[in-house]
Amino acid sequence: MGRYILKRVGYMLVTFYVVVTLTFLAMKMLPGTPFKFANRLTPEQLNQLKHYYGLDQPIPVQYVHYIWNMLHGDLGGSFQYGMQPVTEFLAQRFPISMQLGIESMIIGTILGIVLGIISGIYRGRFLDWGTVTLTVVFISIPSFIFAAILQYCFSVQIRIFPVIGWDTPMTHVLPVISIGVGVMASIARFMRTEMVEVLGQDYIITAQAKGLSTPAVIYKHAIRNAMIPIVTVIGPMTAAVVTGSLVIENIFAIPGIGSQFIDAIITNDYPMIMGTTELYAALFIVTIFIVDILYGVIDPRIRVSGGKPA
Amino acid sequence: MDHLLEIKDLSVVFHIFGADVQAVRGISLQLNKGETLAIVGESGSGKSVTSKAVMGLIPNPPGEIATGEVLFEGKDLVKYSKKQMQKVRGKDISMIFQDPMTALNPTMKIGKQIMEGLIKHQSLSKHDAKNRAIELLQLVGIPNPEKRVDEYPHQFSGGMRQRVVIAIALACNPKILIADEPTTALDVTIQAQILDLMRGLQEKTGTAIILITHDLGVVANLAQRVAVMYGGKIVETGTLDEIFYNPKHPYTWGLLSSMPKLHAKTDKLLAIPGTPPDLSNPPKGCPFAPRCPHAMKVCTEHMPAYTELSATQKAACWLLDERAPKVDPPATIGVGGES
Repeated sequence: MGRYILKRVGYMLVTFYVVVTLTFLAMKMLPGTPFKFANRLTPEQLNQLKHYYGLDQPIPVQYVHYIWNMLHGDLGGSFQYGMQPVTEFLAQRFPISMQLGIESMIIGTILGIVLGIISGIYRGRFLDWGTVTLTVVFISIPSFIFAAILQYCFSVQIRIFPVIGWDTPMTHVLPVISIGVGVMASIARFMRTEMVEVLGQDYIITAQAKGLSTPAVIYKHAIRNAMIPIVTVIGPMTAAVVTGSLVIENIFAIPGIGSQFIDAIITNDYPMIMGTTELYAALFIVTIFIVDILYGVIDPRIRVSGGKPA
Repeated sequence: MDHLLEIKDLSVVFHIFGADVQAVRGISLQLNKGETLAIVGESGSGKSVTSKAVMGLIPNPPGEIATGEVLFEGKDLVKYSKKQMQKVRGKDISMIFQDPMTALNPTMKIGKQIMEGLIKHQSLSKHDAKNRAIELLQLVGIPNPEKRVDEYPHQFSGGMRQRVVIAIALACNPKILIADEPTTALDVTIQAQILDLMRGLQEKTGTAIILITHDLGVVANLAQRVAVMYGGKIVETGTLDEIFYNPKHPYTWGLLSSMPKLHAKTDKLLAIPGTPPDLSNPPKGCPFAPRCPHAMKVCTEHMPAYTELSATQKAACWLLDERAPKVDPPATIGVGGES
């Protein structure tokens, strides 16, 4: 197990390095400059600015410089915010996005799994049809539309929740629901499919033939096996939700990292783009690693201890 | 005589895509204490459905026991509630399945899978149940059971898994064991081992066995009585010797002829031409008539009644009617169990 983890960490670092390099190159190919009024500046002024931000050096030199600084925990300063360190921005804004994402994931996953199980058990009956219809609706409606509807209903018409903001628990409710329903719907659909599949397996009949009650068969034999593929879905979905709630952050004016990312790309704020991308990449890589470990915990067949059973 | 299990006029229907598939059409069977009854027939003849009906495991919907009784020690299991049936399953009647590769839960230790029934039916503590599970593994011939009890199914070979499945089935000393093609998915060498194991266990425990199979070699190995099923009906029953040495129904002849023989002069396999009837629209007469080389006009029109040939043997065939022409069984009938 220890060796496996070490090996995986090695791969993760390589992956991360490749992502950083590719992003760096791609960023250099972006049209435009970070300077807002570049066309009104004289060449000397422009050169001075470029020199100030270190952009006058050849790209390989900039690259080595960047990597060297990164290894020392320095991601550079934001061009748009007076060279304030990017790490400070990330440290300040990322926890907010993280909290929003994790709250949505927890609620969405739990509800999704429960709905999926119920739907799978009552396949073809009314409860199943209801759930399937509901999930299709929730997957089809984009989260920003849903967010707007929620705001209209529960902030404007019935004034329960604040329209925007991110401070008291009450402000969390609408954004978390907006993201959570999508998560719930996707997971419910996966879970339903898996339940239907697992309930048709021979070992379910074996369990019934032992005389176990239906709840015992479902709880002890069906759900665990149905959960295995769900774990794979939840991992990347968590990464995507934590990092990808840009629109929702905008609608609810949540000072998360999503809006920061968009701003950085529009303004060619190179260090900020790099920093945000690196954070996303790291998050994704770590999540997938955790999923692989979890996989082994749930499914003994792929326990990663080098062939030796636990 | 009081039978341990008596199936009376059992019919099972599956409602699928607007059609009613009559998988089992009014069969009657008896099973006595400690004996082995083989139900043989080709795929789709209703063997497995019969066994599932006894276990109360017909999926509903789409399946349904339309008529009939399944009397276990005189009590009708068909009328049992779900809860009552759960107390019978695994305790009084248990089952071995065809494919040991899929019959075990891949994410549960095999010890735990054996213990479940013990905890449910015998109210054993976890500790006692585990000790009993180790005993059972020993009983079914799994070496090093103390260690293997904590392993997962994927760490066992096919034959070993079937031994585990048997251990699960025998955990609570059932009175009836239904073995649904217990050796079909196994290698030939392993088949013999599993059959030996089943015979040995039956001698030790006195469990009655219903053996579902299409392999007449297995039948010859294990069974005392045989019921031949075709098209959802039992066409002939008798003792092992009667069925193998003195079969009366042309379908039984066909089955026996199609068994490959070691000393046969030809190198051709004999098959019964044609396919089994469509049971969503079952034939009026004898279901075997379209494939029967001796079919007469009456065969397609009316289902023949059983002719009692001895105290133990009966067959449903018009050839046994006194007005029918005399037909001798084909010379190709091989006698099983001698190889």
